[in-house]
Amino acid sequence: MNRRFPMILFIAGLCAYLTLLVPFSTYMRNKPIEEKLGYVPSIKLLKPLSADQRELAGAWLVFKVTMYFGGLLAKAQEGVLNLPRADLPGMSRLLHGAVQLDPYNMDAYYFAQSFLTWDAGQFKVANDLLDYGMRYRSWDWYLPFFAGFNHAFFLKDYGKAAEYYRKAAELSGSELYASLSGRYLHESGQTELAIGYLAGMAKAAKNQSVKLTYEIRLKAFVEVRRIEEARDRFVMQRGVLPDSVDQLVQSGFLNPVPVDPYGGKFYIGPEGKVSTTSRFAFSVKHK
Amino acid sequence: MLSVMLVTLKGIFRDRVFHGIMVLAVLFLFIPSAASLSMRQVTELSVTLSLSLISFMQLLLAVFLGATSIWRDMERRYTFSVLSLPISRSSYIIGRFSGIVLFLLISSAVLCAAACLAVKMSASIYPSERQVEWILLLLAVVFSSLKYILLVGVALLLSTVSTSFFLPVFGTVCVFLASGVTQQVYEYVNSPLALQAVSPLLKPIVSLVYYLLPNLSGFDLKLNAIYGIMPDVSGLVLTLGYFIAYTSLLMGGAALLFSRREMR
Repeated sequence: MNRRFPMILFIAGLCAYLTLLVPFSTYMRNKPIEEKLGYVPSIKLLKPLSADQRELAGAWLVFKVTMYFGGLLAKAQEGVLNLPRADLPGMSRLLHGAVQLDPYNMDAYYFAQSFLTWDAGQFKVANDLLDYGMRYRSWDWYLPFFAGFNHAFFLKDYGKAAEYYRKAAELSGSELYASLSGRYLHESGQTELAIGYLAGMAKAAKNQSVKLTYEIRLKAFVEVRRIEEARDRFVMQRGVLPDSVDQLVQSGFLNPVPVDPYGGKFYIGPEGKVSTTSRFAFSVKHK
Repeated sequence: MLSVMLVTLKGIFRDRVFHGIMVLAVLFLFIPSAASLSMRQVTELSVTLSLSLISFMQLLLAVFLGATSIWRDMERRYTFSVLSLPISRSSYIIGRFSGIVLFLLISSAVLCAAACLAVKMSASIYPSERQVEWILLLLAVVFSSLKYILLVGVALLLSTVSTSFFLPVFGTVCVFLASGVTQQVYEYVNSPLALQAVSPLLKPIVSLVYYLLPNLSGFDLKLNAIYGIMPDVSGLVLTLGYFIAYTSLLMGGAALLFSRREMR
């Protein structure tokens, strides 16, 4: 073999590497988001494969999901069109896998609670997961706190909500949850309760993507409350429900015009319930 | 035997294995920043990462030091020189084992100190709702060390019957992977769920493998250390007893086989 061969091979390799470096990095950066969530082997396989590193494997699954969701959220904020709908079942599968590997992993419960309820509408799945977590994290008041909120706000099961809030009060020793326990027994001030919950969650959130999710949703609910207050004033003065949000604005009950941070349009339902066309989620297009 | 142990220890240090560990230990510096990516359990994640890193390094040490030590001696013909001295084959093999174990313990102590610093740093930046139980962290490292000492025994046992390093290295890795799941497989095969799905012939085979292979899942106290959950003391004593009994079996078997091995 020629003596110069190693040098020629090295230089050729270096040239090829430098040529491909930029296009390859660009390709990796622009990979479709759904590819980034990627394929993860079944948990039945992952369990033996992770040997004595199950807690680490669990943390890796949670990290993968948060990175994926964070990327999606960032693109939605930038107003990227043709954004794929978040692979919520995939995210749920990975988080369920994470708690099978490490049933104490709080990040998994916390993140699952944030998207299974608000985004996926899977209240039962979320509550089952929280119940599973409560079996292990027996000291943690957050899990019954989440379950209490889900039962009161989404499922309108106030008896169950009060039960979970009592549990949260016992575990945290906080008077606040004891009072919430009583408050949830009455169906009143749903928007107010959502605002209280979201404000607390946004304040406590450390992860920027999760914090942003809560802050955007909080903004939307603050707007809903403003419309509800204007609607109530309208009803008091005129004795009938307003036809639309526009009527409230035009008649001077609502100023400034409410803005849905998700890009939707607020409307008043037949029974006076304020809602939005965005359904509190960024508009997405199916591929 | 003591001299073989010290020679083994010096040999490992001379091979700069400790330098390699120190280079890998630099990763501990990054643990606080990596753990800060957690949403609700930064300190817990830093304990997870620290214990995982220690466990990974212990695995590398156990597999490579345990599986290549005897093979290398044979290749370099050191064994023949050593055994021409007034030293029995059993003392030689037990001495080798003790030297590797001592090195593993020294490395684990240093890594444990580094882990404590990393966790302390994380806990001071993002205080956890639950205090770090340092005793449990220490206990997890101690039991993890016992687990890998047992694995060194497996590697040495396989080394005594092998002429190459393939069987000891891959055999030890396979035993390590299998030993983490034997408990689950055994429980499943003996559960009512398996009555229809599993052949009755498989049950005694699984039971035999379960009792034959070391059960290393009992040595894993990571969850206890991460979430500050007190382990069952009687269970720990039993695990310690299991370690002593199984390691004695392995080393007894290794010494017996090595004494009968034909040297050419």
